[in-house]
Amino acid sequence: MPILEIKNAELSINNKKILKGLSLNVNEGETHAIMGPNGSGKSTLSYMLAGRDGYELDNGSITFDNTDLTPLSPDERSNLGLFLAFQYPVELPGVSSTNFLREIFNSRKKYLGENELSHLDFIKHLRKVAENLSIKDEMLKRYVNFGFSGGEKKRFEILQMALLNPKISVLDETDSGLDVDALKIVSEGVNNLKDKNNAVVVITHYQRLLDYIKPDIVHIMSDGKIIKSGDADLALYVEKNGYSEILNEKS
Amino acid sequence: MKKARNDQFFSNLEKFVDKVYPNQPQRQPYLSLKSWPSPRDEAWKFSRLGKLARKNILPLSWGNQQDFNINKLIKDSISLVFVNGKFEKKLSDKLFSEIVIEEVQIEDFKEIINKFDNLSVKNHPTLNSTLSCSQKFFKIKFKNDIKFYKPIEIFNLGGSENTSIHPFIYIDLEKNADVQVFQHYSTHAGLLTPFEIINLSENSNLEIIKIYDDKISSYNLSLTLSVIKEEANLRSFALIKGGEFTRSEMHTLLEGENSKADINGIYLSSGNQHHDLTSCIYHNVPNCKSSQIVKGVLGEESTAVFQGKVRVEKLAQKTEAKQMSRAIMLSDKAVSNSKPELEIYADDVICGHGATVGELDEDQIFYLSSRGISKQKAKVILVDAFLNEMISLSISDKFHDIIYNETKSKINKLLANEYE
Repeated sequence: MPILEIKNAELSINNKKILKGLSLNVNEGETHAIMGPNGSGKSTLSYMLAGRDGYELDNGSITFDNTDLTPLSPDERSNLGLFLAFQYPVELPGVSSTNFLREIFNSRKKYLGENELSHLDFIKHLRKVAENLSIKDEMLKRYVNFGFSGGEKKRFEILQMALLNPKISVLDETDSGLDVDALKIVSEGVNNLKDKNNAVVVITHYQRLLDYIKPDIVHIMSDGKIIKSGDADLALYVEKNGYSEILNEKS
Repeated sequence: MKKARNDQFFSNLEKFVDKVYPNQPQRQPYLSLKSWPSPRDEAWKFSRLGKLARKNILPLSWGNQQDFNINKLIKDSISLVFVNGKFEKKLSDKLFSEIVIEEVQIEDFKEIINKFDNLSVKNHPTLNSTLSCSQKFFKIKFKNDIKFYKPIEIFNLGGSENTSIHPFIYIDLEKNADVQVFQHYSTHAGLLTPFEIINLSENSNLEIIKIYDDKISSYNLSLTLSVIKEEANLRSFALIKGGEFTRSEMHTLLEGENSKADINGIYLSSGNQHHDLTSCIYHNVPNCKSSQIVKGVLGEESTAVFQGKVRVEKLAQKTEAKQMSRAIMLSDKAVSNSKPELEIYADDVICGHGATVGELDEDQIFYLSSRGISKQKAKVILVDAFLNEMISLSISDKFHDIIYNETKSKINKLLANEYE
């Protein structure tokens, strides 16, 4: 069953067309990878999905879990079960990590009509989830993303994903700035959350991450469109031959 | 010809002093100031007193003792209560022998005032009106080596519309004393001119937290002159939230080596309030550190200004001075001004300054909303964080939650008014 359907999405920023008729279908249980050279519109796609101001569609449609996403605000989309792991997580000096996590966890619970956890129960739950991602208590005492290393920031994104338990997760360049050990931890975190009822869309420049998060379908994006889709072997082909051959093929 | 300004207050002051203190010539020099500072006066350019000048305000005589509820912030603090500027022993807690409250004369602290040899101090309406008409000058002395773990809470109460009160307090720390003081300004005065002198002897430590929360129609022109000796440390934090017009002006003289002054503050401005944090730090000797860090949140049609000046004398090598101001505007009708000034005559110093004024950060709001938090809630979280960080930086951990709570009701009100 399709959980996400993007049809002919067109989007411009400052009157410049960035997405030029992008279509994508993601079914429950699937992992998709979107690869493409710089400037192909990958990050624009992630902001468009999350509903950032200024990233509204000119044409086309986005349907998520049978709901039209286009009129919804970012918080409404998140509550529906859409999660974006940021390429550059935003620092929030003054906001304690633990309080922040409890706030987002309970607001999701509330939306789902489930019971919110007491402070103590939440802390227990948080410790367990954090441990799986090698996140120490000390890190949770700091301000959100403030002074975190690149690897810590990415792990903190996956920690939020684990707490929110979304139906679809879009990981925007989650591998950038990670060493191999951190890459393994982050990937394992993502793989542990994956089941037959949710979906993951990995946006990445390199094939490296796909050694750890195995995609069912790989899409190549260029100039605001998906120009080729295939199985995991397509990523390996790109790794070996670069993007140019596929791009030339199209033109 | 019709007079453009009405400086009636100063002639009222003169009549009052002539009548109440006919035989005290030491007060006379401070009656030479005849008018309020004008907007042409650089120090008052952003804080205009025209409206105050048009009011007919009379100095308030000390009446009989009134009853007041004293709302302490700290359960085990020692309260010192000043009503209309007069120390009320009966309303105050019992003092310990290491603390002495005594009456002093202008001659006893004139030398300290003379160290601030500039016109913005000499012609300051607070200095002149308080020294000419305050009935008594109180000094609170903390004796040598006292380490006081109970904070002192000073309450400034009293006043009424169209009257002025002029409290004077001289806080004197002897060598090695270590003290924490809360100053509450919670008056109903039309005009309040609290004049304070702080003297920190060698190796003494003072943390002073001033909470300005006068009645919404009050003008508070607070002036503090501090002198800091070797190895001494002044940690001052002002929280301004009350009054129609509140200016907290501090002049701080670092005159002993290895001394330190942090003159920080937060203002929370709503309605038509005007808030002003003005601070001048004078580095006269080498190896001292100072900071002036100010944050503000402005809503509705409020206005605010931060004026920070650091003067580093030629002798004062190895000075480290930091200056920063940041204001968050919740309304496009609010106005925030910032005037940082560095005057540096030494060549081996580290001085930094910066000022930003703006709305809340869009990236931060988006990040929070992408996690399921509504835009309005996100703004509450970010304003809280903005203040939280400042409070953590500026005051002792044990007072953090108390001061944070003091900001909370005002912040909730500000945000509710902006987004309703």
